[in-house]
Amino acid sequence: MTNSLLGRIKSLLGFSTVPQLSLEELQRLFTEKYCNFRELLTANNNALEAMAQMENALHDGRAFSMAFIRSNATVISVNIYKMIQCLVTMADGRYGMLEERFADIQQQLDNIINHDVIKVEGRWFLPLHEATRELVDLAGEKMANLGEAGSLAGIRIPPGFVVTGSATRYFFQQNNLYPAINRIFQQTDPSNMEDLHERSNEVQSLIKRAPLPIDLEKQLYNQFDQLVQKSKTPVKLAVRSSALGEDTRQASFAGLYHTELHVDRDDLIYSYKSVLSSTYSSRAMIYRLTKGFIHEETIMCVGCLAMIDAVMSGVCYSQSISGRPGAMDIFFSAGSAKGIVDGTKDTQHYLVERSAPYGTIHQTAESSPADARLMDEWARDIATAAMILENHFGTPQDIEWSINKEGLLYILQSRPISVAGKKERDQVGKRAVNEHCLLQGEVTGCAGTASGPVFVVRSNLDVLRIPKHSVLVVEHPLPQWAPLLRKATALVAETGSEAGHLATIAREFGVPAILSAKGATKLVNGQIVTIDATNQTIYKGRVEALLQHDQPKNNPMDGSPVQKAMIDALQLISPLHLTDPTSPYFRSSCCQSLHDITRFCHEKSVVEMFDFGKRYTFKKGAAKRLVDNMPLEWWVINLADGFIEGFDSGSNYINISEIISTPMLAIWEGMHAYGWAGPPQASVRGMGSLFFQSTRQPGIDPAVPSAMVQKNYFLVSRNYCNLSVRLGYHYAMVEAYISSLRTERYVTFRFKGGAADERKRVGRVELLAAVLEHYDFRIEKAGDALTARVEKRSQAFLFNRLKILGYLTIHTRQIDMVMDAPGQYKRYLDKFLLDIEEMIANEK
Amino acid sequence: MKSDHNPVLEAALKIKLLLVDDEPEFLETLEKHLRRRKINTSVAEGCKVALDILEEQAIDVIVMDVSMPEIDGLQCLKKVKEKWPLIEVVILTGHASVKSGIEGMQGGAFDYCIKPIETQELVEKIELAGQKALINKQKADAES
Repeated sequence: MTNSLLGRIKSLLGFSTVPQLSLEELQRLFTEKYCNFRELLTANNNALEAMAQMENALHDGRAFSMAFIRSNATVISVNIYKMIQCLVTMADGRYGMLEERFADIQQQLDNIINHDVIKVEGRWFLPLHEATRELVDLAGEKMANLGEAGSLAGIRIPPGFVVTGSATRYFFQQNNLYPAINRIFQQTDPSNMEDLHERSNEVQSLIKRAPLPIDLEKQLYNQFDQLVQKSKTPVKLAVRSSALGEDTRQASFAGLYHTELHVDRDDLIYSYKSVLSSTYSSRAMIYRLTKGFIHEETIMCVGCLAMIDAVMSGVCYSQSISGRPGAMDIFFSAGSAKGIVDGTKDTQHYLVERSAPYGTIHQTAESSPADARLMDEWARDIATAAMILENHFGTPQDIEWSINKEGLLYILQSRPISVAGKKERDQVGKRAVNEHCLLQGEVTGCAGTASGPVFVVRSNLDVLRIPKHSVLVVEHPLPQWAPLLRKATALVAETGSEAGHLATIAREFGVPAILSAKGATKLVNGQIVTIDATNQTIYKGRVEALLQHDQPKNNPMDGSPVQKAMIDALQLISPLHLTDPTSPYFRSSCCQSLHDITRFCHEKSVVEMFDFGKRYTFKKGAAKRLVDNMPLEWWVINLADGFIEGFDSGSNYINISEIISTPMLAIWEGMHAYGWAGPPQASVRGMGSLFFQSTRQPGIDPAVPSAMVQKNYFLVSRNYCNLSVRLGYHYAMVEAYISSLRTERYVTFRFKGGAADERKRVGRVELLAAVLEHYDFRIEKAGDALTARVEKRSQAFLFNRLKILGYLTIHTRQIDMVMDAPGQYKRYLDKFLLDIEEMIANEK
Repeated sequence: MKSDHNPVLEAALKIKLLLVDDEPEFLETLEKHLRRRKINTSVAEGCKVALDILEEQAIDVIVMDVSMPEIDGLQCLKKVKEKWPLIEVVILTGHASVKSGIEGMQGGAFDYCIKPIETQELVEKIELAGQKALINKQKADAES
């Protein structure tokens, strides 16, 4: 402040406070300042690009991970930090408050996006009957539900134990697996299926190869031995996943994690590690990504249950997914439930009343009379158990069950039904059935309509080839196809029932699905079809009448932890409060978001660069007079490499042919494209004003060549030009940097002043603004001052803009004098546009 | 009217670059890419080797990983900046965090980039860092 006051006093007394520099000093200073400016512009661009990426990801419905948020937030933070450092250096230490504001915002951002691995503490093992919902962090969702179900009267569960999340954490920590896994996935592009598969395999084999700590291994065998001891018969285990967040209403993870069946003592360790490693299977990774789960928060617990020697198994939905009130679904087949959930077995279906005595409403006809008799009896047991479980957990349940040789019912899983079921057949569908019908399925996996080209998946390799928005056709609806639902617009399978895992996931993602559509794999790849899953029909071509009734697809990420983190992070990143540089609140202390800081830094850096010519002057000899026939003095200062090699630096004059600054040459071309018509014929009042101004500043009338004529300076390098010009009574400045790097390129124009009264001066600024806006400049106006900018466009585009500015600099001289005369504004606008069009026509 | 001549790119060809990472395969691949673009590149498997190379060779720009065994990238950056303040360091990490990014920049890194990165983008960053290193030298010469 003192320096500034002193400066003003000196200035008032007529002493110049601007330092005079030698050409070498000037060049070094320019290079340094310009280097900072360029770094700042590049950083600004990087930060804004990363902001746009985050905004787009949030709003275009794509799936994104915490790693995506973290990477972009880091790019933004690092680049803004860099912008601040550059600006502070350019401004000789001013704007220090920015660092404080940045540190504050960045700290808040860090709290949102940096999740450490959840610290699960406690026992390594839990007997299954001791697991409850209260111990969900240790036992995982599936085993906590099952253990608690086992404590209810009338519910039987298999004996078993849980290897807790605490044990998983111990195993991972002992082998330093967390940092290794994070490192691999940080470098994975989740949109690249091939890359994801490869990285997923890498991580899974890392886990399988890691040795189980000896104390954990001993205790695991001990648990198995105790189970055998209690059962008094040979025991084989089902080793099942029970991850935190799995089996919830929002996300079933149906069939996405690994299960090992018939596991004996010898295979126990391998099976345990296989289930753990399936946390990172590509299908689980993609599901988590799509549903917005935080990777680091996924802790796998493992359930080890004694296998049931099942004669019949199945799935029960305690509220029918057909949507029929008062009914429940029971799907079943002989043996284990595996064939039902992976859609490979033919499945029978009973629709049963939800209230005692649980009468059968409807049943599939295929059951043998013996099976049907048995099922009539068992269906009542299953329905009774289902209602006990629904009443206890307070929401309709998706239940897996088995009946052993003794006819005893075992519950193997009970989780909330994830998504409401299908709609009844509708009229539109019925009308369309006869027109262009290609195929009719039997089961609605997920209701809805969609259209797209057919893509039949026959092998794992096809997974990598599926185009976006395809109608995915498979033989069996295996859970391994789950990642494809992200790209598919609809699903068709030759087999399967509503109870299959893939159907469950299709419902979660809102992807219309038809199952049990025999002959579907004979559809031709690429053929456009319309799927009416509600009515289980596939039509040839695109049936608009059906698609009009299509509901918008769910965004599976809605309400997820990752989406919430993104929204919270963007609150600190993207709102822009500092919009008006002339406002008194355009201050570093008013920056509330990272976007505000970039805006502030960018604006102030431009000011700092523009002040270069004002803050530093040069000693005599630094500038070369340009040889030209205009009655004006043009001087050129070479800041870096703007003159041809071999130019005689001792010479006081330079020819235009000796200048190689491309931006300057473009401006020069625009200046010389048309001869100046001379000052306009002003009104008497206008002339009076001109004379008044001239008497006050006689040396600045450019129309009169004299020793007093103002010198106009080009500061140049090969890619840079800054032209300060005072023509008549206005001041103009053109600045440009046009290099091979698009991010650095810009053209700026500033214009102020005039001899006429303010109304007329403003009129001229309006005219300039109209012309420049026509040529894609961004305009800011304040009274008789105007700033125009354009950046990051092609070189040809920007060179043309410089020609336009060169033209306007010459041809707007003194026209403010006539800006109040009727028709003048229009006359000049038409003339300028006509001239410019002709001037740049060749380039076009 | 084209600007074919690019002093930045020409300057990049004169840059002496050192790549520091603990993954030999990554070093090898990146070195190959950069040499193809005629950037004079040396490699160091870890910070200790890098410090030895710096004792013997004049280096302008270092591209360095953060997570490395023994001495991590941020510590290594500190050592480099203490002894060779004119060298510009670009951090290239596979495990980005806002905290380590800012620590790196506060420690004097020229830039902080996240793997995977396009070779072209990295080359541009190396060029800018090289130009800054050149200015550092000129400034130091003028001051002395």
